[in-house]
Amino acid sequence: MTAKDGEDTATANRRQRRHMLRAAVADNMAKPRDPRVRSKHARATAPASTRAAGKRGTILAGIALSLVAVTAGALMLRREAGPDMAPVATPSPVAPGVAASSSSLPSPAVPQTFEAPAAVDRSVFPLAVRRVVVDAGHGGADHGASASDLAEKDITFDIATRLQQRLEDGGFEVLMTREGDHHLSLRERVQMANANHADLFISVHVNWFDGTSVPGIETYYLGATEDPELMALAQRENRESGYSLGDLRQLLDGVYADFRQDESRRLAGKVQRSLYRSLLPVSPELRDRGVKTAPFVVLVATEMPAILAEVSCLSDRREAERLKRPRYRDHIAEALFEGIRAYARDINQTIEKGT
Amino acid sequence: MTDRQKVLNVGIDLGTSRSAISASNGQRHVVESYVGWPVDMVARKVLKRSVLIGSDAVENRTMLDLHRPLERGLVKEGSKKDLDAVRQLLNHLLELAGIDLEAKKRPSVRAVVGVPAEAMRVNKQQLRSTLEGAVDSLMIVSEPFAVAYGLDALLHSLIVDIGAGTSDFCIMRGHFPTEEDQRTLVAAGDSIDENLLKLVQEHHPEAQVSVYMVREWKEKHGFVGKPQGRVKVTVPVKGTPTEIDITDDLRSACESIVEPLVETMLDLLPRVDPEFQAKVRNNVILSGGCSLLSGLRPALQDGLDPIGGGNIQSVKDAVFAGAEGCLAIALDAEDEDWDRLVS
Ligand SMILES: Nc1ncnc2c1ncn2[C@@H]1O[C@H](COP(=O)(O)OP(=O)(O)OP(=O)(O)O)[C@@H](O)[C@H]1O
Ligand SMILES: [Mg+2]
Ligand SMILES: [Zn+2]
Repeated sequence: MTAKDGEDTATANRRQRRHMLRAAVADNMAKPRDPRVRSKHARATAPASTRAAGKRGTILAGIALSLVAVTAGALMLRREAGPDMAPVATPSPVAPGVAASSSSLPSPAVPQTFEAPAAVDRSVFPLAVRRVVVDAGHGGADHGASASDLAEKDITFDIATRLQQRLEDGGFEVLMTREGDHHLSLRERVQMANANHADLFISVHVNWFDGTSVPGIETYYLGATEDPELMALAQRENRESGYSLGDLRQLLDGVYADFRQDESRRLAGKVQRSLYRSLLPVSPELRDRGVKTAPFVVLVATEMPAILAEVSCLSDRREAERLKRPRYRDHIAEALFEGIRAYARDINQTIEKGT
Repeated sequence: MTDRQKVLNVGIDLGTSRSAISASNGQRHVVESYVGWPVDMVARKVLKRSVLIGSDAVENRTMLDLHRPLERGLVKEGSKKDLDAVRQLLNHLLELAGIDLEAKKRPSVRAVVGVPAEAMRVNKQQLRSTLEGAVDSLMIVSEPFAVAYGLDALLHSLIVDIGAGTSDFCIMRGHFPTEEDQRTLVAAGDSIDENLLKLVQEHHPEAQVSVYMVREWKEKHGFVGKPQGRVKVTVPVKGTPTEIDITDDLRSACESIVEPLVETMLDLLPRVDPEFQAKVRNNVILSGGCSLLSGLRPALQDGLDPIGGGNIQSVKDAVFAGAEGCLAIALDAEDEDWDRLVS
């Protein structure tokens, strides 16, 4: 990035500014998002559909919101996935008190539908894994990461489609968040999964690391928090619910340590292992960056076990080259499929035995 | 528009709590980002205006349907009122800068509008269509990018814009920032206000406090680290002005943003090319109203110790850094750029 010998810094600087301005202009001219959305439900406007998501949705949205609104140490929104990673800071009726306190005048009249969080335990859920939502990251004007002639959105879509095929052949029902190259907001992705009562949510992305960082694959699920603020918030919102502080703590812990998180972790583990194991022989330099937690919004707001897999690494030239080959993308899809199948097999077996 | 028509460039920072304009005619103004409409006939009669903006709106809030359109850094989805409010704000700022949009012989206005990074991600198109028509050509950019541009800190720097609704991080690597280069946290001014309000209410249940009061206390006395003295404020208790000591509450509330900010820096910096990490670490730039919190800069700088330390500086003019950066972009953009951005 430094100016070449003989090249005057001022010129380099001017060129740099020029470059950025062009990019800013191009960014402004990016097409508006494609209104086509696969699911009718997903197109419902936010407040109504959030409401429609019912009690569980309300709780989760409430938590999602507090994750975003209350902020504690751990609450970084990793801006990995483009515009679709917006926080679910929907000003919907589910917004807990904080949402309103700074905007409107301090008024107690905020509709409060943040219900007493119920610990979600396995037995109340239909456990069999049948319907899987496959989410190809990015799309439309949102290219995601890109390396010369490769855009993340195209790779994720290709891999997602291959994964869909495999899952369907394997007897799963598959819903794709997008079926073409168009923009989809995070909310639409989540809503689609929620509205269709999917059993699993798999978001496919390709990583990007700057510079010489070792390329790697990693899989995320929703992270827990020790956030005392969140406790306080929930307590406030649930004042009328008749729960004691102790009960509340337990209940909230319950939501965090709920079935969804456990299952997401297990799913993430299976997928990560499968990915790593099958990619290693082909891509010896890929590092196993492991299973991680992060409050990605797609993971917060989805009501089913959900993971976000960074299946490759576009910033690595060798990986980028490999990603150009259909065989390699197929290989990745296969690995994802194996991970999901391994997870589903476990789950479905557990059910047969009777939990 | 004719070739000879005069051009006026403006840079506008549309913020959650404050919006500023800096124009090529030398005008600089700042308003609070509040827009209010009289709630009924009576209010309209009393106020004699159809829309109120800034502190004018806050002062008359009891008679208004009051909106702060960019709450938490983005326009509420589908909220026409909030989009209207954004447009009102923009018009108001243009007026303040002496631009009469109705005038026949007015200059052609080219505006660069900086918005919170979150709004840029989520509402860009919406904002464009809302603001289009208000000016002749329009470019929307993210606030941290504007700040970086204005300071000419486009290479090997980390901008940390600590505003009201959000704290925006942006690593500058000599190219237009991508998603990977940016982060947004809601640990910022508003979250401090919320914390402070809660703490004061908890410790002084009798006291009548509002978010507006605590915000003022924060701006006047807010600090991070060791207190320099006790902070005492006067609040009504059952109607009687009473002095309360808020030193500890103020400290905890202000310090609540330190950890998330540090963590985000610690997470972002190692992603920079190792070759340049030290450069970026030593070129961290704080902007935004909350960067004025006493003791915050050194506290953040100490936070970099685990990765070898760094150097954090504050911008000289936290209020106008964004608007100035937008103006710099406007001035640098060429006619052909503006032609593509005609609104
Ligand atoms: N002197 C001060 N000390 C501490 N905080 C201050 C001071 N002055 C302003 N603030 C706080 O800074 C915040 C406003 O900063 P700024 O104007 O940068 O925000 P904004 O641009 O409106 O918000 P955002 O960038 O989130 O959209 C408010 O929370 C305000 O209370
Ligand atoms: Mg700002
Ligand atoms: Zn991605």
